[in-house]
Amino acid sequence: MLAAGYLGQRVVDGIDLEVRPGEAVAIIGSNGAGKTTLFRAIAGLLRPMAGRVILDGRDVTRWPAQRMAKAGVAYVPAERHLFGAMTVKTNLMLGAYPTRPDRETLESVFEIFPLLRERLQQRAVTLSGGQQQMLAVARALMGRPRLLMLDEPSTGLAPKLAKDAFDALAGLKGTGVTLLVAEQQVPLALSVADRGYVLENGRISLDGTPRELDQNPEVRRAYLGIG
Amino acid sequence: MKAVILDGIVLGLGFGLLGVGMTLVYGLGGVLNLAHGEVAVLAAIVVAQAMAGGIPTAVAAVIGVLAATSAALLLDLTLMRPVYRQTGGHRVLLGLLLTLGVAFMIEGALTWRDPLGALSINVPGRPISVLGVPMAAGSVWASVIALAVAAALLVFFGATIFGRAVRSVIQDELGARLVGISPALVRAVIFALSGGLAGVVAVTQSMTAPLTVNAGFNLTVTALIVSVVGGLGSVAGAFLAGVLLGIVDSVSAYYIGRYITSIVLLGAAVLTILVWPRGLLGSLQG
Repeated sequence: MLAAGYLGQRVVDGIDLEVRPGEAVAIIGSNGAGKTTLFRAIAGLLRPMAGRVILDGRDVTRWPAQRMAKAGVAYVPAERHLFGAMTVKTNLMLGAYPTRPDRETLESVFEIFPLLRERLQQRAVTLSGGQQQMLAVARALMGRPRLLMLDEPSTGLAPKLAKDAFDALAGLKGTGVTLLVAEQQVPLALSVADRGYVLENGRISLDGTPRELDQNPEVRRAYLGIG
Repeated sequence: MKAVILDGIVLGLGFGLLGVGMTLVYGLGGVLNLAHGEVAVLAAIVVAQAMAGGIPTAVAAVIGVLAATSAALLLDLTLMRPVYRQTGGHRVLLGLLLTLGVAFMIEGALTWRDPLGALSINVPGRPISVLGVPMAAGSVWASVIALAVAAALLVFFGATIFGRAVRSVIQDELGARLVGISPALVRAVIFALSGGLAGVVAVTQSMTAPLTVNAGFNLTVTALIVSVVGGLGSVAGAFLAGVLLGIVDSVSAYYIGRYITSIVLLGAAVLTILVWPRGLLGSLQG
């Protein structure tokens, strides 16, 4: 039962969440529901106030973000945190830190995001929002993560581009990487997920398959504007 | 005039070497290391005493650089830890106060143990003609060393994995952590490197003029000015700014007078902050 927050205030509490290898799991919830806080706590950017984070049976609760990253947990925050003044290529190389990126990984990343191959020498800050999102995911993939955590990948993207981004994520599912995606656009989130959790006011209020969630009258009313 | 400018370049390469260590530490964590000059003096006194003990100059110089490197590493692993736990303005302020305290301690200890301490390395050899101007062998050697260090640093930051990791922490610390880079490790290595560079400065400066035990404050101020003008966190900027300021220093000392040069240099720093807040190359860093 994980709890985390800021300045003594619990933003998320009583979180019981499981992601199995190879799965794609969506966390859906409106703005301020606590999705980012939850992700920061899992990724090691925020020390949980209670509860534990377990990775492959190992307690990793107090591991700092850099150690989580090396252990194969890649977190792509909504603000992306790219190295803006560096080229696309250098960003990708740093994604593979501390090793040199191998051809194979690079090729598989270019297969998902072909556009990046043409932009290798361009500085990250000059990319469009959609391209920056691609680069952020690509940089995370360079470290060959086992779990890829994406916080609001649709942030700042036009609907068409957001859809493209999620299509790319759907393409990732076959590659063996486990996905955990936080998203407030429920249809997008459910389009890639095998399972989903609904986060409301810092607590998980519902969970189930996309089908179950999609049919749930609460979800339809609150997030889809239907009913 | 040509000789004055060449003198300025020699001086400026030394400035760059001095500033680059301070600028990297600042870029990585917002700490202006006010003990930077004192670490150089510490190295100078170690070299001087080693030479007095009969150790060959080159070996003594290496010992001095290693001593400065270890002193800086020790400082990072002990006193600087609580500083980096702070954020924003608190970190800047605590960093200033702590490193100022360290500067006083080093200066006090050295002055007490060796009040007349000074390092002077005599580079044998006849003056070497550079563009028709005879330059002292010591000046030429000091410049060659500074240029070699600058080149090595540029290769290190531009083409090695760890060098890129350092730049990534300068640009976006959180982003760096997300790709698995430990900012604490990077800072410790760079703080130690910065100490080593201060040691190299002690050696090169003493090739042209004696470096005395009370030189620390001036060295720190010079490093600060070079960092500001070059752009905080930029290696190339530090050397570019160093050479420009060296020429300004030399020309103003020749035509106006030595007493005015510190004011001219400070003026250059103030002007840079007003006109070009990121410094010469600060915005291009990366």
